[in-house]
Amino acid sequence: MDFEFSKDEDELRREVRNFIRTNLTPEVTQQLIVERDTGQRGPLAQAFFAKIYDAGYFAVSWPKEHGGRGMNAMAQFIVEDEFYRATDMRVGAVGSGAPAILECGTEEQIKTYIPAVIGREIVFAQGYTEPGCGADLAGIRCRAAREGDTYVINGQKIYVTEAHIATHMFLMVRTDPASKRHAGLSILLVPMTTPGITVRPLWTIQNDPEAPLGTTYGIRQVNEVFFENATVPASSLLGAEGDGWSVASRGLNLDRVGAFRYLISIMRDEDIVSWLNTDARGHERRADPVVRDKVAELWTEGQVCRLMTMRSLSIVERGGDFAYEGAAEKVWAPEHGVRATEAISQILGPYAQLLSSSTGAVESGVFAHNLLGAFQSTVNHGSVHVMRDQIARRGLGLPRPGRAK
Amino acid sequence: MDVLPDESEREIADQARAFLSSASPTALVRACESGDKYSPELWKQIVQLGWLDTCLPEDQDGLGLPLQYLTLLFEEAGRHLAPVPLLSVMVPLLVLAKYGAAAHAGVLRNVRDGDLLLSFAFQEADGAWSPDSIRMTARREGDALVLNGAKMFVDNFALSDCCLVAFRLEGQSGLTLALVDTSAPNISHVDLVPTAKDSEALVRFKDVRVPLTDIVGEIGKADQAVQEAMDLASLFCAAQLAGAARRATEMAVDYAKIRYAFEQPIGAFQAIQHLCADMQIGVDGAQLLCREASWKLAQGHDARVEISQAKSFANEKCVMACRSAQQIHGGLGFMMEFDLQLWYRRVVSWSLRYGTTSEHRRRIADHLLGHNGKVRLDGYATA
Repeated sequence: MDFEFSKDEDELRREVRNFIRTNLTPEVTQQLIVERDTGQRGPLAQAFFAKIYDAGYFAVSWPKEHGGRGMNAMAQFIVEDEFYRATDMRVGAVGSGAPAILECGTEEQIKTYIPAVIGREIVFAQGYTEPGCGADLAGIRCRAAREGDTYVINGQKIYVTEAHIATHMFLMVRTDPASKRHAGLSILLVPMTTPGITVRPLWTIQNDPEAPLGTTYGIRQVNEVFFENATVPASSLLGAEGDGWSVASRGLNLDRVGAFRYLISIMRDEDIVSWLNTDARGHERRADPVVRDKVAELWTEGQVCRLMTMRSLSIVERGGDFAYEGAAEKVWAPEHGVRATEAISQILGPYAQLLSSSTGAVESGVFAHNLLGAFQSTVNHGSVHVMRDQIARRGLGLPRPGRAK
Repeated sequence: MDVLPDESEREIADQARAFLSSASPTALVRACESGDKYSPELWKQIVQLGWLDTCLPEDQDGLGLPLQYLTLLFEEAGRHLAPVPLLSVMVPLLVLAKYGAAAHAGVLRNVRDGDLLLSFAFQEADGAWSPDSIRMTARREGDALVLNGAKMFVDNFALSDCCLVAFRLEGQSGLTLALVDTSAPNISHVDLVPTAKDSEALVRFKDVRVPLTDIVGEIGKADQAVQEAMDLASLFCAAQLAGAARRATEMAVDYAKIRYAFEQPIGAFQAIQHLCADMQIGVDGAQLLCREASWKLAQGHDARVEISQAKSFANEKCVMACRSAQQIHGGLGFMMEFDLQLWYRRVVSWSLRYGTTSEHRRRIADHLLGHNGKVRLDGYATA
C-alpha cells in the first residue's frame, strides 16, 4: 500500500501548475470558452494548445513514438486533474476514440489520427446513442452498407455532445443487417464534412441563461446527427467488421473512471467548504452543527470517490482488468456528486435556486446550474443502474435476470 | 500511489484468513458468547503466531511492521468474529510500548507471552468518546494515587488482568494514565449486555489505591497518549467493521444464488442485485478509508481526520451492509440458530463503540471549518 503520490509525480504536478500559471491568461480562457461553445479556435487558444502539445501534456501516458511522454496512468491523472481544475475543460486529456484507435487501428490509421488528435487538429464526437437505444447499445440501428470500397451510412444519432465542434465522429453502426444485439456492430471513423451528414442542435436546460464556468455538466448544446447516404471509404473501419462492440468498450471503460469523473463528483465538496470558510454568510452558516455534520459526511464520501479513483488507477498501473471496480466508482462518484449538490443547496437556502442571470445569484449561479447538471453524470457513459448490474454480475457473480432456472 | 496491498501485506492477510477460517468457526463464536466470552485456546494460538508483535518496534523485540499490517489483521479478525480480546489488548499494548517506562517491561513481556490480558477504560457515564469528557478523579496519598469514579463500556474488563485507566489528578488539568490491577481492592464491575453479547462492563472505583510505579507516562501529561489510544481503537474497530461487513455481504450474495422465489434465484432480481452492489460499494469504501488512515499513521502523519472518516463511514455503511444481508435472508436472518445474526449483532455494537458517527463527523468538521481558506479534497494547496 502507498497512499501518496511519489516525488516524481509531485514534481510533475508542480510543473503542470507552473505551466498553467504562466500560459493560461484570462484572454486565453475567454477564447477557450468561445471554442467550447462554437468550435471556433482563436489565435491565443491555438498558441496555448501548441504549447500543451510541445510539453507533451495531451498524452502523457502514451508511448513516446505516438507523441506521448511514456509516463504512467497516475501521471495522466495528475495532468488532467490540474488542467480541469484550472480551465473547467478537459484540455489535458485526449478525447475518447483515441485510446481505441491506438489499440485497434491499422498502422495507417494510427499515423493519420493519433498525432492529429494529440495536436487537437482532429476532435472526435462519440456517436453511440440513438433515439431507440442508450444503455443497451446492442439495439443500434444506424446502418452502414458495404458498397465496393465504401460504406454507405443511413440512420440517426442523438445526444452527441461535441458534434457541432468535432471534426470526426467515432461512429457505431450496424454493418450486418441480419445481426442481433452486439454481433454485427462496427466502428467507423467518419469526417463530419462528409456529404449527407446533418447536425441539428439540441439545447439543454443549461442554455438559457447560460451555465457559468465550473458548472457540473454545464454544457448548453448536444446534438442530433442525421446520416443520409453518407459515404466513406472502407478504410474508415476501425478494427474488424462486426467487432465494434469490443473495439468501443476499450474507450468506454476509460471514460467512466479517471480525473474528469472524479473531479465533477468532488468539486462541490470543496466548493461548500471553501464557501463556508471564506464567505461572510458562510461564516454564519458554519456555526450550525447540522451543517457541520452534513459537510463532514459529504467530505468523507468525497474521499471515498478519490480512493475509488486511485484504486482504479492502481489496478490499471498493475496491468490488471476491472472485475467491477470501475463500475463501482461510476456508481459511487456520480451519486455522491448529486447528494453533495442537493445538500449544498439546502445549506445555501433559497439563494441556491437562482440561475446565472438572476439578481442575488451565488457565485454566478453555479449552485443552481449544478442542480440542473449534476445528475447527468449518473446517466452518461453507462447509467448507474447498468453499472450496478455489472457489479452484481461481474463482481459478485449473480445470475442474469430471467435467465437462470 | 498504489492503494492495493503489496505482496507481503497480502501474504499476512491471506495467512490470517486461512488460520481463522479453521480456528474460529461460528461454533466457537457461539460457545464463547454463552460461556467465557473469549477463547483462551484461540488467544494462545494468536499470540504464538506473533500478532501482538506485528507493529511493536524492533528494539523492543517486535517485528516493526507498519501499522497497515495490523489493520489487515483486524479486518480478518472482524471477518471471522474471532472471539478474542485483540482490540482491548492491542491498544494498551501499543501505548505501553510507546509511553511506558522500564517498570512496564515485565507486563509487556507477559502480555506478549499470552500470560496476561489488558483492557482500557476511557469512556464514562455520558458515553462520549473524547479525552475532554473524562471526569474521573484521583488524589495523591504518599506513594500511591487513590482513584474514585466510574468507567463505562469497558470492553473485556472482566477478562483482563490489568486495565489502562485515564483520569485527572486533583490540581492537574491534564490527564493521567495508570495501568491498574483489575483485582485491586475496591474495584467492582457490572457486566453489560450489548447486542454483541461479548464482555463489556461498567467499572466502579471506590478509593482504589494505585502505586505511583503503575503510572504510564507523566502525571497530568497523558492527553496525547489517551488521544492516540482512542484513535487506534477507532481505527481498529473500523477495520473489524469492514471485515465483518465483507463477510456478511458474501453470505448474502451466496444465499441469493441458491434461494428461489418466483421460479428464479432471488439474486437474479435487480432489486437484490442493486442492493448487493451498494453493500459491496459501502464495504469497499470503509476498507479503503481504514487502509489509508493506517498507512498515514504508519508514515508518521497526523491521521485524525482520516481515522474519523474511516470510523464514521464504516459505522453507517457496515451496519447497512449487514442489515441488508439480514433482509436478503428474510426470516432466517432473525433466527438465533442461523449464523448470520452473529455478524449483525456484533457490527451493530461495534458501530456504537469508539466513537459514533456524529462524534467523528464533528472532528472532521472542526478540522475543515476551523480556518478561513479554500481547500482541496486531496490535501494539495489550492492554486
